Amino acid sequence: MKKEKELYQNRIELLQGTLDMLILQTLQWGAQHGYGISQALRSRSSEVLQVETGSLYPALHRMERYKWIAAEWRKTEQNQRARYYRITAEGRRQLASERAKWSGMVEAIASILEA
Amino acid sequence: MSVWRRIFGMDGRKSELDAEIDAHRRMAVEDRVARGEKEEDARAAVEQELGNLPLAKDVTREAWGWVWVERLLQDVRYALRQMKRSPGFAATVIGTLALGIGAATAMFTVVDHVLLRTLPYKNPKQLVVMAEHGNDPRFGAGVPWLDLAQWRAASHSFEDLAYWSGMEGRNYVKGSNGAALQIDSQQVSPNLFALLGAKPALGPGFIDEQPGFGAVKNSGSIVLSHTVWETAFAGDPGIIGRKIQINDTPYTVVGVMPAGFQFPYDSYPAGQAWVVGQLDDSDKKLGNDQSFYGAIGRLRPGVTVAAAHAEIDAIQKQVAARYADAETREAHSQVKLEGYGDSLVDADVRKALLALLAAAGVLWLIASVNVTNLLLARSTARQREIAMRGALGASRGRVLQQMVVEGLVLSTCAAVLGIALALIAVRLTGSVASIHLDVDFSTHVNGMILAVLCGLTLISAVVASAWPALLAVRAPIEPALKQGGERTGAARRHNRMRSGLVAIEVAMSLMLLVACGLLLRTIYTFRHVPLGFRTDHILVANLSVPSYQFTDRNVTTTLYQPLLERVQNLHGVQAAGMMSEVPLGRTFNIMLSLRMNGRMVAAGLKPVSPQIRQIFGFPMIAGRFFNDQDSPTSEPVLVVNPAFAREYAPDKHDPKSILGAEVWSLKKGAPKARVVGVMDDQRQQAIDAPTQPEVEICLCQLGPGDNLYQPATIAMDLAVRTRQPTAEMIPEIRTLLKQASPELANSTISTMDQIVEDSFGSQRLAAHLLEIFGGSALLLCVAGLYGLLAYVVSQRTRELGVRIALGAQRGDLSWLVLRQAGWMLVIGVAVGSGLAWASARLVRGFLYGVQAHDGWTLAGAAVLLFVCGLLAAWIPAQRAASVDPMEALRAE
Repeated sequence: MKKEKELYQNRIELLQGTLDMLILQTLQWGAQHGYGISQALRSRSSEVLQVETGSLYPALHRMERYKWIAAEWRKTEQNQRARYYRITAEGRRQLASERAKWSGMVEAIASILEA
Repeated sequence: MSVWRRIFGMDGRKSELDAEIDAHRRMAVEDRVARGEKEEDARAAVEQELGNLPLAKDVTREAWGWVWVERLLQDVRYALRQMKRSPGFAATVIGTLALGIGAATAMFTVVDHVLLRTLPYKNPKQLVVMAEHGNDPRFGAGVPWLDLAQWRAASHSFEDLAYWSGMEGRNYVKGSNGAALQIDSQQVSPNLFALLGAKPALGPGFIDEQPGFGAVKNSGSIVLSHTVWETAFAGDPGIIGRKIQINDTPYTVVGVMPAGFQFPYDSYPAGQAWVVGQLDDSDKKLGNDQSFYGAIGRLRPGVTVAAAHAEIDAIQKQVAARYADAETREAHSQVKLEGYGDSLVDADVRKALLALLAAAGVLWLIASVNVTNLLLARSTARQREIAMRGALGASRGRVLQQMVVEGLVLSTCAAVLGIALALIAVRLTGSVASIHLDVDFSTHVNGMILAVLCGLTLISAVVASAWPALLAVRAPIEPALKQGGERTGAARRHNRMRSGLVAIEVAMSLMLLVACGLLLRTIYTFRHVPLGFRTDHILVANLSVPSYQFTDRNVTTTLYQPLLERVQNLHGVQAAGMMSEVPLGRTFNIMLSLRMNGRMVAAGLKPVSPQIRQIFGFPMIAGRFFNDQDSPTSEPVLVVNPAFAREYAPDKHDPKSILGAEVWSLKKGAPKARVVGVMDDQRQQAIDAPTQPEVEICLCQLGPGDNLYQPATIAMDLAVRTRQPTAEMIPEIRTLLKQASPELANSTISTMDQIVEDSFGSQRLAAHLLEIFGGSALLLCVAGLYGLLAYVVSQRTRELGVRIALGAQRGDLSWLVLRQAGWMLVIGVAVGSGLAWASARLVRGFLYGVQAHDGWTLAGAAVLLFVCGLLAAWIPAQRAASVDPMEALRAE
């Protein structure tokens, strides 16, 4: 229980707009459902990033409306019905542009910090 | 609501989201269980991870972009629930708005029909009509062909010019069933239909030809209106090429016009027929004997009415110079040119309608103010509810939207009801307006009016709900949530504003009531003005005389006398007589303009039978009326009225001095007719018009060949004095008329009382409408006053209780409320008096026997408002006095 709490405190607040990029990046590796996406983000960030349901699903549905991702119901390996999201061509373009923006910002911030 | 959800697919999507999150939850639990946690612990941990799910779902749904629809539906549902919870409030708001919208729409429909109507011709705005006149534009005449021909040759403003004139006398078409239908037949130039841009629905119509002396291609051809074709010929599709008869003349039908086409526009409703008028010798003369025509032209595109007028004026200077006689030259010196549509509406009617439209607008304003007041009161009463919503996290915009939706729901209901009211009102006014305004009137509400209505509704919704909602939203939350928040300064400011609104209502109502009062006094004066004749127990038939049969035969001996004898013998008839036009009949006015002893005499002429004096009870001032001794062979005699005597008697101050004067000969070579009597003045054309000189002539002394005979074959009223109620006699008299001549079946029969009532014209319509407007305004303003005071008393219950507990007398408390009502009334009446004074100019034209600035009417209206207002205040005042101090203080 204590560990959970620490984790919660160590959690990094995601920058506005970054979540979309991370989700799109996750979907690059293949179609995935909401729970899968949150698990992937968590494990790939070594348990640092934990996406809340209250942010994840609104983001998924918003991106679905923008047609960056598409959704369909499929069976999981454990034979569960789940809604799988898949990145579209439009989503790939969006991801590319967000990545460019992101690396630009990282460079800018890094050059300030290292100056 | 389920229909809506299905349309927007929201139900399906909601459960899909639920399933998606369920799957998430299951997978998370399974993962944890697989990692070795206990199922219970896993569940709890996952729930914690998921956090505030309803909020998450809400935010997700927002991402769909549908949420505003959902919220709107929510608001509408909420508004409907609110209406159900306080039906009295909803009914008041809806009723008030519906009244305002209904009145405005009804008036707008009437105005649209009369003033803004589009004529059934191609580009009707290009059509202008012309008439020649002298220095006094009231005595206008038509245009002689020779003048029109000059205009056609010299002007550049027109695409074309055409002429028309009504056929003389009454015209009958013999139908396929043998009955004679009275119609309006016109002689027109062959280019008229092309100029109007009208083509027959059936048949080729007239052959295209320029008007002129040689234009004879269309002689003997006739074009029928749709109505005539249907009523007289049962819509026979083979009518083209058939020979039909107008009066005794045969014509070949060459066309049937489409339904709704008429020319001239305001014509006889039974239908029309057109033949090409052949120019003859009378059109070649320049002088008084020439034929006169109505002239109509189509302006070239881009030419204004003013420019065309200027051009014709310039041409007419040369045209008039050709008249040799100075007097005739003067009579043809000017041209009146106006748009055809404008020429159809009387200036008085136009003013009356605009004034009534303004009155309807004021009523709508009162209704809006009242509704604003009601909504304001409610929003103040709901301040705590709104504050509570704010405290629970509703944004101000959201609360504002909800209040606006409530207003919209209310006003939409009001609009629907208002349309219904307007339709009823238009139907009612339509049936009376056609009599009072002499206009064709159909009860058709067009799309533009509905658009205006929607605009009005929207404005009233925004005015009535946005403003109170804004005030409510802007109010700070905490004070409202505290106990006794109603007693803050904001509430007092609201009350002051609401009192101001009620005062405005009172002021506007006073304005309407004063206008209504002035017209009612006018109608009252009309009813009590001495008419100069009796109106009771008199039946009048305006005879459709087949004039064409009596050019050579004597109409009096062959038609009128035998008819009179038969009517006289009817059971219940006291007397029967003939008169070319009964007083106030406004059917056929015969004007004389003759040379008498070297000077021109202008006077009305009425051929009458001797019995007419007994029927109407005309009083005599001097001499005698006609009697049975006056015959075709006896000395020709005349009776005149004092107006005639004042103008033409040797001694202007003594009407009797005209007795014995020899005036003029009825036929060439015969001895001059002598004045044997002077009868008292009577109302002739309208009650508010001064009496004109008039000459009565004994009907039996007129015969074919006399100068004055012809009018008597066109216009004749049969007047019958009955012993029993007059209406019962109508069928019997109609049967007798039909027996006397088939054409007489077209006659209209009414009672003399009705004729007098109808002569009140636009004043009566205006008075009726203003009665409705004024009454509604009074009702609204009383309701507004009552509503405000009742609200104030309910808000101050605690304060009033404390006052009583501290020893205030109950009378003092009623006085407190009445004093507030008194202030609103005093301010309202003071402002309203100013408004009424200023608006009196609008109604001045309709008034008779009362000044526009009439102190008594103003005082009467003010007293009425005061009494009604104080009565309305009495109930809340009583409630204030009966506050139970224990009850009121317990709440503290």
